[in-house]
Amino acid sequence: MRLLDDIHSHAKSTLLPWGETGTIISNEDVAALAQHNAMSGHIIERHALTEGIYPLRYLRNMQSISVEGQINLLESSVAQVGLGGLGGNLLEQFLRMGIGTIHAADGDHFEESNLNRQELSLIDNIGQSKVQAAMKRAKAINPSVDFKGTNEFLTSKSLPDFLSDADIAIDALGGLKTRLHLQKAAAQAGIPLITGALAGWTGYVGVVIPGEIGPADIMGLDNETEGILGCPAPSVMLVASLMAMEAVKLLTGIASPLERKMLVIDLATTTFETITL
Amino acid sequence: MGIELKCFATLAKFLPENGDDYPVESGETVRSLVNKLGMPEKDVTLIFINAVRSNLDSEVNDGDRVGLFPPVGGG
Repeated sequence: MRLLDDIHSHAKSTLLPWGETGTIISNEDVAALAQHNAMSGHIIERHALTEGIYPLRYLRNMQSISVEGQINLLESSVAQVGLGGLGGNLLEQFLRMGIGTIHAADGDHFEESNLNRQELSLIDNIGQSKVQAAMKRAKAINPSVDFKGTNEFLTSKSLPDFLSDADIAIDALGGLKTRLHLQKAAAQAGIPLITGALAGWTGYVGVVIPGEIGPADIMGLDNETEGILGCPAPSVMLVASLMAMEAVKLLTGIASPLERKMLVIDLATTTFETITL
Repeated sequence: MGIELKCFATLAKFLPENGDDYPVESGETVRSLVNKLGMPEKDVTLIFINAVRSNLDSEVNDGDRVGLFPPVGGG
C-alpha cells in the first residue's frame, strides 16, 4: 500500500522513553501526509500505530494507554454537550488524548464571569461564541482530530441527531434543566453517558449505561446550589478529569467502576466516596 | 457511638460540630435527622447511608455513615 510506504518513509528511529529503540512520526509529517492523501490526521496516525510507528505527540502516553487503546481512541467518536467549565476542560483533554472525532455543541458566548474556570475563556474572546473558541483550540492543539462544533443549545428534539454517530455521550452541561433530556437521549441512542457536575467544593461523576438509573434521575431541576456557591476552577477541573478518564476507559474497552454509581467528591474536606445508586 | 454525618455543598452549614460522632435515638430516620438539623427536606435530594443510596424514610443506626446532598448541577 502506497500510504503505508509513505508513512514508513517519514518514520524516524529513536530511543523511546521506556528504554527500547523504536520508530516515531512527527506531527508535521502526519499533517503533510493527511493533506497529501486528503484524509484526517487521525487516520494517518492509526495506520502508523498499526505499523508499529508511534506518533510523537502521543509517545508519552504509550505506557499508560496501550497501542491498541490509542488505536481505539483514534477511531472513536465522542458527542459532547456543553463547552463551558467542564466542557472546555474535557475538550482540552480529549484533543490531547487523540480521540479521533469530537462533536461538541453549545449556543453560549463567553462572559467575564466565565474567566474563573472556563478553559476556553480569555479576556480577548469575551462576547464571542464558545464553539468558535473551541474550533480555534482544536486546530491549535491537535489538527489530526476531526472537530465539529454546533453553535446551538440542544433540545430533546435536536439531541437524537447530535448523538447518532457517537460511541459515547458527554454531559458537560451547566445547570440541571437539560441533563435528564440528555440522559434519555443517550439511552435512546444506546450509548453510555458520562456525566459530572459540581457546586462550590462539592461535585460528582457518574457513568450511565442506557436505560439504567443516573444522577439526573435523582438531582431534580433546582439550580439554586451552584447559583449560590458558584463553580471554582479546582472543582471544575477535577470533575472534568475524572469524566475524561471514564470516557477513555469506555472507549478502550475497560469497564468503568462508576456504572450505576456516583463518585461523590468534597474538596473542602478532601473526601471521595463511591455511592451505589 | 453515634453516626458519622456528612453534609455537602449548601447543606454544609447545617453540619453540627459533633458531626463525626452525632448521637441518634432508636427509631431515628433520615427524615427525623434532617428535621433535627433544621434542613428543609426539599433541599436533600441524594441521601446515602454506608455508600448506598437511601431515602428520607430509611432508618439510621449507630455506626452508620450518613451523607446528605442537595441538588448539584453546575459545570
